[in-house]
Amino acid sequence: MESLSTGLQEKVGMKLDTYNFKIEKGKLRELALAIGDLREESLKGELVLPTFPTVVDFMGEETSTLEDLLGLNLQKVLHGEQEYEYLGEMKPGDDLTVTGVIENVYTKAAMDFFIIKKEFVNQHGETVLISRSTIIERH
Amino acid sequence: MEVGYQFEPLHKEEITHSQLVRYAGASGDFNPIHTVVPFAESAGLGGVIAHGMLIMGFVGQAISQWFSTKDLVKFSTRFRAMTRPGEKITVQGSVVEETEDRWICQAEAVNEAGEVKVKSSFEIKKR
Repeated sequence: MESLSTGLQEKVGMKLDTYNFKIEKGKLRELALAIGDLREESLKGELVLPTFPTVVDFMGEETSTLEDLLGLNLQKVLHGEQEYEYLGEMKPGDDLTVTGVIENVYTKAAMDFFIIKKEFVNQHGETVLISRSTIIERH
Repeated sequence: MEVGYQFEPLHKEEITHSQLVRYAGASGDFNPIHTVVPFAESAGLGGVIAHGMLIMGFVGQAISQWFSTKDLVKFSTRFRAMTRPGEKITVQGSVVEETEDRWICQAEAVNEAGEVKVKSSFEIKKR
């Protein structure tokens, strides 16, 4: 049986703070180095790796925002799933505006699940990406 | 390309504590369960664990070697098992299905013992 405390249920539909993020080559290079992708294109910061949007997400918002908003205990938090839909191209130099919403919250097997949807819009007003993250908090 | 086609596996170097510190800095994910051993121990994890997104990043790197990222339209991952410093990850994948305009593919990141760390599916626009 899935159950849910009222405190969690209230968070469904909650909007996250909108933020802007400019894609810089140095940031692309830094991610490539951390992953160990040493191809020339990656090291020059010319390749936007498929998981870069999550870097945008962590870097763009105050790192404490989501945890504060959801009241999460960092010792108990795990990443369950991550999904990206690439609707357009992201390029170095792009200026993104990112909006987010708590799409769903549920409790299962002594864990709380939070589904967070983000939309990434570029400087031309094009939605270039939709991401969905499942964040799990163990009880 | 056809259904059943196996991509060339991507073999990664052994994960180190330093790499996790570097990934934390690069990604902005500073949860200390990934970098601070006493914190991770008190969380009951028996030591630090790699960011799931680092392992998904390996899969992303592999996809970007197999295809042009311009053709990538969808990429989703389930995090299945924790990864620790000292483990060596290999990313393998194949085409599992096709539609008129897409290749539907799967990939997984496994350690040397074959334990599946993440399972991904992704879709590529046909050219």
